Amino acid sequence: MEFFIHQISEFGTALTNLALDPITYPYLICSVFLGIVFGALPGLTATLAVTILTGFFGNKFPLEQSLIALIGAYVGAIYGGSYPSILLNIPGTAASAATAMDGHPLAKKGRGGEALGMTTTASFIGTLIGTLFLLVFVWLLLMISKNIASPEKALLALFGILLSGTLMSKDLVLKGWISGLIGLAMAMVGLDPILSETRYVFGWSYLMSGFQVVPVLMGAFAVPQIMDGMRAAGSIGQKVDVGKIVPKVGTVLKRFPTIARSGVIGTGVGALPGVGEDVAGWVSYGVGKAVCKDGKDFGTGSVNGLLSAEAANNAAIGGALIPLLVLGIPGSPPAAALLGALKINNVIPGPTIDPALIVHVVAILVMASFTMAIMGLLTARVFINVLRIPQTIFLPVVMVLTTIGSFSVGGGINDLYLMLAVGFVAYAMNKMDYPIAPLVIGVILGPLFDETFRRSLLISDGELSTFWTRPGAAILLSLNIALVLSQIPTVKRLFGKLSFTS
Amino acid sequence: MRIALTGIAAAATLAMAGTGFAQDYPFRDITTAVVWGAGGGTDTINRMIMAEMEKELPVSINVINQTGGVAGSNGMVYVMNQPDDGYTLVGLSESNVTAAVQGGWDKKFDYWYPFIVGGSPDLISVGKDSPYNTLQELVDAAKADPGSIPAAASGAGSIHHLNLLAIEKGAEASFKFVPYKGSAPGQEAALAGEVALVVTSLAEQAPLILGGELKPLATLTPESAKIGDMEIPSAFDIYDGLDAYLPLKQAIGFAVHNSAPNDVKAALGAAFEKAIASEIVANWAADNYYDVGGQYGEEAQKLFSALESNFAYTLQDLGNAKVDPASLGIEKP
Repeated sequence: MEFFIHQISEFGTALTNLALDPITYPYLICSVFLGIVFGALPGLTATLAVTILTGFFGNKFPLEQSLIALIGAYVGAIYGGSYPSILLNIPGTAASAATAMDGHPLAKKGRGGEALGMTTTASFIGTLIGTLFLLVFVWLLLMISKNIASPEKALLALFGILLSGTLMSKDLVLKGWISGLIGLAMAMVGLDPILSETRYVFGWSYLMSGFQVVPVLMGAFAVPQIMDGMRAAGSIGQKVDVGKIVPKVGTVLKRFPTIARSGVIGTGVGALPGVGEDVAGWVSYGVGKAVCKDGKDFGTGSVNGLLSAEAANNAAIGGALIPLLVLGIPGSPPAAALLGALKINNVIPGPTIDPALIVHVVAILVMASFTMAIMGLLTARVFINVLRIPQTIFLPVVMVLTTIGSFSVGGGINDLYLMLAVGFVAYAMNKMDYPIAPLVIGVILGPLFDETFRRSLLISDGELSTFWTRPGAAILLSLNIALVLSQIPTVKRLFGKLSFTS
Repeated sequence: MRIALTGIAAAATLAMAGTGFAQDYPFRDITTAVVWGAGGGTDTINRMIMAEMEKELPVSINVINQTGGVAGSNGMVYVMNQPDDGYTLVGLSESNVTAAVQGGWDKKFDYWYPFIVGGSPDLISVGKDSPYNTLQELVDAAKADPGSIPAAASGAGSIHHLNLLAIEKGAEASFKFVPYKGSAPGQEAALAGEVALVVTSLAEQAPLILGGELKPLATLTPESAKIGDMEIPSAFDIYDGLDAYLPLKQAIGFAVHNSAPNDVKAALGAAFEKAIASEIVANWAADNYYDVGGQYGEEAQKLFSALESNFAYTLQDLGNAKVDPASLGIEKP
């Protein structure tokens, strides 16, 4: 309790100092805006935004100001990815892929303004929830994340992949899982994570490093969307009814349980080392689908679905900073770039970190989330107008941006071929009513599952019991089993009857 | 008219390029492509030294990351494909010497003209709740039940893995090697109790040791190390046979094409010498537990060539080499 009060008062001082210092604002506004732009451009990621700024600031500027810029860009980019997700059905970053599931159907129903407003609110509250955990429950979360070893990570990744089966296949649940398994198989290409043996490489050295997530993501979502859009395109843009963007307080209060739950899930997932915002969004979306009353409407334009994804991916920022600051182990890829920036400035995060720095980071996060919310609500009105532009003009531009985004990751022409190949396959799959999102989840989570599953067995000498003798693993394993059972029609009917009679 | 204008523009561009050619290196910005990810040791060291070298050169140096491939081969191939005019450098470390035998690319390491900023000695450490308090206790336990104690190190063929192999040979013990992608996840596994010990560098472990999360048992260099008010003994004083296999030391820095013109090498060398001697680098190295290197050119090539032989043939012994080192012209150590 004493710690609690101490942290709050320290935070108050830090926030006041930061808010009263006029130099804060130019850094904050520019970096959040830059972050939003990076997030909104398909394929440019939060990691890239933070890395570029790290290069720009180096050790030439005082650390306080560099930190404001880097954290501002991080928060902005995770949020900015939701714009193209909602407006174009093309996720700006992997973190906002789940946002597109319900965001775009809402926009198609003419509720795009509302969707952007709710997203902004959810991102804002989500960031604050993650920040609160970083401030107050940092040691508690640290204890949990320290006890998470390979078996738990493997089961969490499996949970994410199995969730894909429950997502939005129009006719058969099985189609989601088929698509997810294709993604999982794609994740196996390259050097295996344990013995460094080549798999499915066919003597081609490009394949040795495996498939990069960004080109696959762009191929899977952007290319079919652009092809479809061009086929259907008229020469005039859509009529856009902007409507009210700032959501009513009552609506937000009504949705608060969803936002709070997603925020807590996002923080928890973010706090796991090596598991970032993208996984947070999907896991929270899956959990939301299972527990929300309107869960069966997820994927058709459910506000709860949108909030589940968007609150979680922003909350993961605060979560990812916990192991970064307290153990020196980054919780997500952008946090790894942040670690570099700290080290260049001779600040070594870890157990010996100055507690004042954590409070300072918390203060920056709070300032950044306010800036993001205000800027988001103001710019949403502008961004939504892109829908007015005729698709025949706009979509080719998006294609160029997408190509740049895919190129930016590895800087190789092969990544572009990969994007196109995945794009054509995804287009065909769309036509056959196979959902494409599970494939992307498979590619994102496959390597994590592969590595942690095999390492668990390596350590336990092949003893499968390692997946249920540890308490954390046992809980996750039962969640996985429940998830599979809930999709089997017989079991579903049984449970349906039970709840009917009771 | 338009054609004429284009012609003038083209002539002007040519003229500018012409004058540019006559100018001394460097007259435009330099890019350094680091082959390892942001936040890692090689990335941090390159960003630090480039910021210092920038002060000695009339141009800016941009640091980017080109990761992936085998043992950092993506980044090396990327720089190899750029002109050898000294405007694209590659940020690398000792672990890249295995890229060729692992099939990532087909060049011997003397393709580069390297500059070594420094490295940090490797440590063998255990989690804070570990029952082992000395290296002897750990080794005795491993001898009692060979291959049962899990040991974390980064992937097969990394310097930390080779150090683990060396201590196994030197102390005649055997552990269960569990590979991780990089040092941070391996250390995380030691904290979580997933593995009993971890071999990574002092620089990487320092904050965890000072914070009481890791218990250091021994350094894998002839010298002992001091961190905070803790004295870490050298494994060399405990086991006599170690000097046959150790020390294997990190060499982190950057490189330019060996085929680059001499004036480029000289200009980079002069800037490097000044940067490495600066107080900022000295302080940074001391605070972060790095030993400053400072070798470059032929001297550094010799060091890398020795590492390359050692790494390549060790990998071949382990059955992890895809390409026979002899076929690349790598000599036996």
